[in-house]
Amino acid sequence: MALIFSIHNNIGWIAFDDPDSKVNILSFEVLKRFNGILDEVATAKRLDALVLISKKKDVFIAGADIKEIENITNSDEGKEKSHLGQKIFNKLEDLDVPTIAMIDGVTLGGGCELALACRYRVATFNEKIKIGLPEVNLGILPGFGGTYRLPRLVGLKQGLKIILSGGSVSSSEAFKIGLVDRLIPQVDWEMALDKFINEIKSLRKRPASFHRKSKGIAGFLDQFWMGQQMLFGASEKAVLKSTKGFYPAPLKALHLIKENFYLRRKAGLEKEASAFGELVTTDVCKNLIKVFYLSEKFKKYLPPGCESLKPQMIRKCGVVGAGVMGGGIAQLFAYRNIDVRLKDIQPDALAKGLKSAYDVFRQASKKRKITPAEMIMKMGKITPTLDFSGFHNVDCVVEAVVEKMDVKKKVFADISAQVNPERLLCTNTSSLSVTEMAKSVKDPRRLVGFHFFNPVHRMPLIEIIQGKETSPQTLTDAFGLARSLGKTAILVKDAPGFLVNRILLAYMNEAARILELGASVEFVDRAMTDFGMPMGPFRLSDEVGLDVGLKVLHILHEGLGEHFQPASILEKTYQKGLLGKKSGKGFYLYGDSKANPVNPEIVSLRSSSEKHSISALECQERMVGLMINEAARCLEEKIVDDASVVDAGMIWGTGFPPFRGGLLRYADQWGISQVVTVLEGLAKQLNAPRFLPCEYLLTLHKEQKRFYER
Amino acid sequence: MDRIAIVNGIRTPFCKIGTALQNMTAQDLGRVVSREVIERTRLDPKDIDEVIFGNVAQPADAANVSRVIALMAGLPVTTPAFTVHRNCASGIEAVVNASIKIQVGEGKCILAGGTESMSNIPFFMQKSLQDLFTQMSRAKTSWQKLGVFAKFRPKHFSPRIGLQLGLTDPACGLNMGQTAEVLAKEFGIPREEQDHFALVSHQRAVAARETLREEIVPVSPSPAYKEFVQDDIGPRDNQTMEALAKLSPYFDRRAGTVTAGNSSQITDGAAALLVMSETRVKDLKLEPLGYVRAFAFAGVEPHRMGIGPAHAIPRALKKAGMKLSDIQAFEINEAFAVQVLACLRSLESADFAKKFGYEGYTGMIRREILNIHGGAIALGHPVGATGARLILTMLKHMKRKNLNVGLVSLCVGGGQGAAVILER
Repeated sequence: MALIFSIHNNIGWIAFDDPDSKVNILSFEVLKRFNGILDEVATAKRLDALVLISKKKDVFIAGADIKEIENITNSDEGKEKSHLGQKIFNKLEDLDVPTIAMIDGVTLGGGCELALACRYRVATFNEKIKIGLPEVNLGILPGFGGTYRLPRLVGLKQGLKIILSGGSVSSSEAFKIGLVDRLIPQVDWEMALDKFINEIKSLRKRPASFHRKSKGIAGFLDQFWMGQQMLFGASEKAVLKSTKGFYPAPLKALHLIKENFYLRRKAGLEKEASAFGELVTTDVCKNLIKVFYLSEKFKKYLPPGCESLKPQMIRKCGVVGAGVMGGGIAQLFAYRNIDVRLKDIQPDALAKGLKSAYDVFRQASKKRKITPAEMIMKMGKITPTLDFSGFHNVDCVVEAVVEKMDVKKKVFADISAQVNPERLLCTNTSSLSVTEMAKSVKDPRRLVGFHFFNPVHRMPLIEIIQGKETSPQTLTDAFGLARSLGKTAILVKDAPGFLVNRILLAYMNEAARILELGASVEFVDRAMTDFGMPMGPFRLSDEVGLDVGLKVLHILHEGLGEHFQPASILEKTYQKGLLGKKSGKGFYLYGDSKANPVNPEIVSLRSSSEKHSISALECQERMVGLMINEAARCLEEKIVDDASVVDAGMIWGTGFPPFRGGLLRYADQWGISQVVTVLEGLAKQLNAPRFLPCEYLLTLHKEQKRFYER
Repeated sequence: MDRIAIVNGIRTPFCKIGTALQNMTAQDLGRVVSREVIERTRLDPKDIDEVIFGNVAQPADAANVSRVIALMAGLPVTTPAFTVHRNCASGIEAVVNASIKIQVGEGKCILAGGTESMSNIPFFMQKSLQDLFTQMSRAKTSWQKLGVFAKFRPKHFSPRIGLQLGLTDPACGLNMGQTAEVLAKEFGIPREEQDHFALVSHQRAVAARETLREEIVPVSPSPAYKEFVQDDIGPRDNQTMEALAKLSPYFDRRAGTVTAGNSSQITDGAAALLVMSETRVKDLKLEPLGYVRAFAFAGVEPHRMGIGPAHAIPRALKKAGMKLSDIQAFEINEAFAVQVLACLRSLESADFAKKFGYEGYTGMIRREILNIHGGAIALGHPVGATGARLILTMLKHMKRKNLNVGLVSLCVGGGQGAAVILER
């Protein structure tokens, strides 16, 4: 039974306790039962208070049932479901009995809206407490009265902040903004709650003194019509900037609150239900839900054969090869309180590594993600060295030296001589063979590819590459390490460019070919940002450095054949030293101004001056189509297990737009037959065999299947 | 009884105030050397039983700086730490304290050292300004506040410079340089002799640059992390008698002889040593640099603080049952050239020995075995760290030259001397 109602000492208790799960979810089944209990309470003799409580550790109610939301197929159904929840919550709100949400854990989405419908909210000092409305992250908005009640309770500014960002607050922040009325210790919470009930049981409504009114400018913005309009205006600008028009939910939520903030409950909730119904059926919503599932899947994923193994604890790590990448890796470890011995043979490279780690910490401190004290303590965890001193007791070593096989092999031979052979050895190679590298270490079973993406602290993906000899224990350790670093890990077979770089470089190379035809740098970049990519291919190349990209492209060309022949304009740009941001000039110019105009030199590097006109759509078709074809090839070659790995890799490794659900989810939606037709058309029209659909795609097409049906 | 071993040690480069290390705090400098000595000795942080650092300026933002250092260096939270302060001998005090603790069985492995960031010694407010701020915070009405506000005068805002306060003896009212002048006049030590002593210090330090790298961990100063500093900044390649002669006396402008050139430099730096019981050393299969044989402290008149070593050295020898001539190498801290020279003269004097009952424990110290890598005049004197640095430099020297016995000594602001006899 997910819900238990009981009465002790004239206090009613509704305990949420889903027997089949570690968390409580607000399914419609639970809601209906809850509704029944409310009817019971309303007719029973007057209680002193009604307390809503969870029997789960660190969870109050984690949210609504996402499956149910996903299954809503038309707006009317969505609106109706929203109404259903609203009605029950109104009933809760309208009870004469004082109602209290006793919060001792995660209180999100529907759970938060339930707490908002209570007259009082009492929370413990539990650090696991998160209270918020994350609905916009799934492309919807709070549909059980959250948009109506939250801004009224905590003020418009805080309410908008939580709803539009899909964020959450800790219990102390919640207390500060008035979302929670009292904070009590976890120990003996019953006594503290009892005391609270005694204080409020005779009151007919929530006392005004509980309401925190902000003062000064914040107060003006919250309380006066003028200020409120200013808040709406500023929020709209911020929302448009962050969603770039791809994600309709936050804007819709904003427009909704702008209306229902001034309406009575019935009318306000009616608007909310309609807005919910409209959003819940959008493709964006469905795709974001898929991406949510994807992230849940990869949070727990372990390769077959590893399920019963335990990952080794990593407390100290040696990082070999400083510089920007090594420094970034060191920063991540130190951030997660793992001691780092950062080694390089060049003092300058070491200094650069320390600097890049420090810059990340300083930025985090500026943004108040960490305190200045934390910054000092964490930065102190990184100690530089020119030799292998301090490697005697490392739990793992991450190699991040220059991408040359012979150098890497030499480095691993050295590491092997210094470090206990049982330790985990990771190479941060972006394209070289792990199996080949393993030949230089004492115990090749302990070497695994552990590919970070730049900038390390921001990119959530790690490609874990299994060499021929890599043992299941090593894979388990690597997945454990990735998780303890807060990253999403995918398993990839040892092949040139692995997964993400292979697909990404096919795309960048195609961008260069389009450039060669006479399209401008901006035009191509624009076409892809319009598609939803966080930055265009040329901007990305400038960020990463053309030398890095081109090196991988050469490896791909060598290993995978002609379709990776680098576009000649890339070679020429490289030869001119236009590497990107790091050299001050790339496809764009990086001067003092923030504008970063296009580098006029690029045009002159085209091999012919002929100009073909190309539409943005054609650009997208060529580049995305080629990516899909390459991803299908990866599946064909069994580089990765299934389409979900490709999508996880592309979303978290390259920022492929989540609202499209992932590269192959997008291909499925585009239609496999359509993809095949477009590719075949391009192959013919451009006389370019690289577009010829691979076997895997053709099979899908023939069997009328989709990527996600295989 | 178990001997007290010093297993390993490391220090930062010593950098003049306001130069490379100026933005690093005393605790950060201490963190660097602590972690590094543990790593280089192939220990685990949990092998350390306690942390004792000496520090003079006692940073306001890091009360009990040793504890802060221990935590920053990644030692377990369960490892206790405390800070010692014996002015310029704070670094020695840390080692002595560690030795005593180990001898009575309170720990087997102690991380001892000294750290000082003289660049970060703050300016203080005048007490009168502090009082006004207090009044201000107590004023209830705006009117009262305005009343207090009206009392502020520019003079209230002139700072009291912490560094100056620290280098001034509150008992005799003289600053350290002035106490050096007292000795110069008492012993009649001419300016040229002092300058020559300073010149040799620079020449030796420059010649020893490569050698000293053995005891230095290169530091990339935060927050710029521009490069690595691996050598002390103080030693001048082209120091000459002429250049030294050009400097005017700093502490007694008219009749003085003590100049910035023949005094120690105000410096940032830290040093750390691993002090262990002999048994523990064997258990961990380590090879110690050497052992602490004996130590002594002595008090002298505050205005003659520079003479401290002349009293501490014979006392330490007496405790060790050794003669001055048994000592194969000396490190006497060069707070001021004149103060070292005064000590040497005293130790050579039969009258001095007789007067204080040091007979049999004094004698001549040859310049050839004294401060052979230069001293604080060239290398600098980060007050809290110097004691530990002298022990480190001496032990490394003894190991290189295969010497059996060495002695380090310092004069101590406030009127004390400290001496430690080391053996292998």
